[in-house]
Amino acid sequence: MKRVLITPASAPYWLLSPFLILFAVFGLFPLLFSLVLAFSRWEPTSGLGAMEWVGIGNFVFALQDEWFWKSLFNTLWLGVASALPQHLVAIPLACALNGMLQRSRNLLVGVYFMPYITSTVAIAILFSSLFSTDYGLINAAIGALRELPLLSAILPASAIDWLNDPDRLKPAIATVVFWRFVGFNAVLYLAALQTIPRDLYEAATMDGASRWQQFRYITLPGLRAMMLFGITLSIIGSLQLFEEPFILTNGRGGNDQAGMTSAVYLYRLAFDFNDFGAASAMSWLLFALLAMATVATHRAFGEGRKL
Amino acid sequence: MSLSRHTMTPLGARLLVGLGAVLMILPFYVMFVFATHSRTEIFAVPPPLWFGNDLLANFAILTERIPFWRNLGWSLYVALISTALTLLFCSMGGYAFAMFEFRFKKPLFGLVLGTMLLPSFMSMIPSFMIMDLLGWIDQPRALYLPGAASAFGIFLMRQYVSSAVPRELIEAARMDGCSEMGIYARIVLPLLKPALGTLGLIAFIGSWNNFVGPLIVMRTPENFTLPLALRLLQNPVDTEWGALIAGAAIATVPLIALFALASRQLIAGLTAGAVK
Amino acid sequence: MDAKRRAGLGLALAAGLGLWTRSNGGTPPRRLTVAAYPKLDAIVKAALPAWKARHPGVEVEVISREMNDHHTAMITALSTGSHLPDLMALEVGYVGRFSQGRGLLDLRQSPLDGEKLRSRFVPYTWEQAHNHRGELVALPSDIGPGTLLYRHDILQKAGLTEADLTRSWASFLQAGQQIRARTGAYLLAHARDMKDILIRTGVQPGEGLYFSRDNRVLVRSPRFVRAFEMARAVRRAGLDARVYNWSSDWTEGFRRGTIATQMIGAWLAGFLGSWLAPQTRGLWRAAQLPEGAYAAYGGSFYALPAKADPANRILAWDLMQHLTLNRKLLLDAFQAHDIFPALVDTFDDPFFDEPLPFLGGQPARRVWRDAARKITAVAVHRQDGFADEVINTELDKVLLRDKDIGAALADAERLLKLRANR
Repeated sequence: MKRVLITPASAPYWLLSPFLILFAVFGLFPLLFSLVLAFSRWEPTSGLGAMEWVGIGNFVFALQDEWFWKSLFNTLWLGVASALPQHLVAIPLACALNGMLQRSRNLLVGVYFMPYITSTVAIAILFSSLFSTDYGLINAAIGALRELPLLSAILPASAIDWLNDPDRLKPAIATVVFWRFVGFNAVLYLAALQTIPRDLYEAATMDGASRWQQFRYITLPGLRAMMLFGITLSIIGSLQLFEEPFILTNGRGGNDQAGMTSAVYLYRLAFDFNDFGAASAMSWLLFALLAMATVATHRAFGEGRKL
Repeated sequence: MSLSRHTMTPLGARLLVGLGAVLMILPFYVMFVFATHSRTEIFAVPPPLWFGNDLLANFAILTERIPFWRNLGWSLYVALISTALTLLFCSMGGYAFAMFEFRFKKPLFGLVLGTMLLPSFMSMIPSFMIMDLLGWIDQPRALYLPGAASAFGIFLMRQYVSSAVPRELIEAARMDGCSEMGIYARIVLPLLKPALGTLGLIAFIGSWNNFVGPLIVMRTPENFTLPLALRLLQNPVDTEWGALIAGAAIATVPLIALFALASRQLIAGLTAGAVK
Repeated sequence: MDAKRRAGLGLALAAGLGLWTRSNGGTPPRRLTVAAYPKLDAIVKAALPAWKARHPGVEVEVISREMNDHHTAMITALSTGSHLPDLMALEVGYVGRFSQGRGLLDLRQSPLDGEKLRSRFVPYTWEQAHNHRGELVALPSDIGPGTLLYRHDILQKAGLTEADLTRSWASFLQAGQQIRARTGAYLLAHARDMKDILIRTGVQPGEGLYFSRDNRVLVRSPRFVRAFEMARAVRRAGLDARVYNWSSDWTEGFRRGTIATQMIGAWLAGFLGSWLAPQTRGLWRAAQLPEGAYAAYGGSFYALPAKADPANRILAWDLMQHLTLNRKLLLDAFQAHDIFPALVDTFDDPFFDEPLPFLGGQPARRVWRDAARKITAVAVHRQDGFADEVINTELDKVLLRDKDIGAALADAERLLKLRANR
């Protein structure tokens, strides 16, 4: 048999075909469906025939809706408060892990990665218990630290109602998100660190460069591509943040909707408040925002090449 | 591999990393402790901090209320096939996006990324419509085939291919008369090993913890994957917490085992990938 | 657009009628599907042997999912009209929601003629089974009559009697202060409980909780003002433990006796005994809510999806009647799962008179039976879920940040007005 059946010109189509077929069926159709829904009014229990075209009405409502803006604010707050520390910790963590002996490194990578593999069922009950006001371990730990002379000034004097006090709920959620994903990011950065040739560091040491200088001029530039990837994922993940706030607030978004991210709100709007049309419209607005944020990130990294 | 003195992490940093690790693992400890207590004890304050002796009782409730072992096996089956297909399709697709020029490449890639941005529950109803149309309701393929078209997988693979596969290598192979599929299978795929490890792990975890997918397409409890089956123990007013946590703890074990196996592979693979 | 909608509806109706008539001459169906959630699934399964004996050769498949998952799956199935069960269980909170659409079969039509069963069920739950168009969309199986559970021992220690608690809301609060002063226990778990019960009392006929039939927003009515004022009074007097239901602090409050009363569905007594606070056996009593208030906490129904296979319809209707009208079955479920029957026929059973050891030998089921008869139904609005959330948020602002009640309710009204017609 001749081997010219697949030419370099047609090869990408062959390579992509299995993915594209599945994608067209399972990815594209839902996308189009939700686009139609965004311009419709629909009571889903009445069946597909009940879909009613309303033009841009849902978008007008979305932009007027106080809770939409509130959820957007919560999403951005949580996104910054959980994603930023994730990367700020994951990079030095990856560096530290990289400089360890293989055996302990493997073990520690495993430990840091573990939260990422946990199921949400377990997280829900564990953190509800850990965050419990009067007897939770977290408040107990804070109580113990308060006994120390210096810390007593900065720590709160009484037990914190983490999950019910609107002002405490966001930090609690951000903590859980951080816990779940910091290890994942560290693994990403660790992978990138392995691609930086060691002799660069050797040479730098010969030239008398300090640890900080090595980090600044060798490590960081080496991590640039992975940072772009990791930060893009974080932005997407943050703007879609759903599971953690959902389970920590029993699917309600918390008191004063303090933990109601956009995704939680969209879910409630569709399935609890019966408004699939508005939920679709908002998810497209969110989509636009995400697309802009992603493009902006790529621009920032493209221009700040020197970092 | 030996570490020279100046690339070695200082002791203080190592202690800090170790302390962080303890904090990371603490909730798991609590989970395994809770799994050995009755729900009455779990809801006590202060909660139990040492192992109890209700593991067997919890386990009895678990296996009585849901077909636990079958659900576990089912989850494993779906996750393995899903992972294999994801690796195959995404490596092919990612390679195509990274190394070839073709019409509509940019808008197509944008579209693929676009689906990543839509919350999964917004596609519940249309997904159900498609599965119904295909006659896949209550079929395992309704779980592993859609998952195989992972936008994240394509994204990861494209990023990795463009950094780890030299163009010259592919050109040289073409000169030597290697077929296009041959180039993919014999040259590109081996180079992707580290990224395949990462994606495989993520795909497996994604499938293992997937909840929305099975909720839409699975009907009989025998065909539920674990996350969906475990929820059957929950009730707004009467949840079997002990059994639920025991089930969640057992469900975590395969993932921990997988990671223990894969992490060495992962790190080794990553190191190998670095030596160009 | 309206024409399109009407055409679709007409088409669906025509198809339904066509299949309906065809079903009369077709072969007998072999397989029914019932979709339910725990514990209704167990009750359905327990009911099957007796039913199957009357219908040999019919297989019944019971599909079970977690309660929220079940309803999500039912929304999905109804929206596409495929893979619908022949019979679906619905929790009371979802009946109102589902009944607004056209997905559930009107059981009044012949040959079902469901309206004739009216006298068999507790009145308020029968109302709940109807939608705003007057259609009967479900049959009730169980209810959750509200009750005031209180700690007899704590009351004694404070030198109080049950009458002090229940005479009026003012005396309830007064008793609470005495309890707090003499025993240190809190009157309520959360001030929100107070608001929840008070906005449900004094609802005018035809009114909903938050919206009137003609979509007016009712949250600035005296009913809400009073509910907010009383909740604030509870908080200001330090009478609530500030813990939410189903938190570990809540269950621990019961175990340690730091929460003296709880207004909730009668079923809580069963769960307190089985796992929430088994060590408090004998210390609790049940009473009617203060000031003759009555409220419902939970309940379930069965409905026939309009687009399910019409060939199975008569059979499914028969099974549905078996599940909702079978005295022995309902009483068994009551015994095994603390699920209070909606069927009035069961109310004369001696089981209602049995003393409950957990409640110190009190025959409390009689109390709950009386409550069940007196509860009135409240009209449901599609935005009730949202309104719940808004009102709770505003109450929190009143309780935590001392927001003015008038301003809080005005803010709530503004938000609800935007939604009333969506």
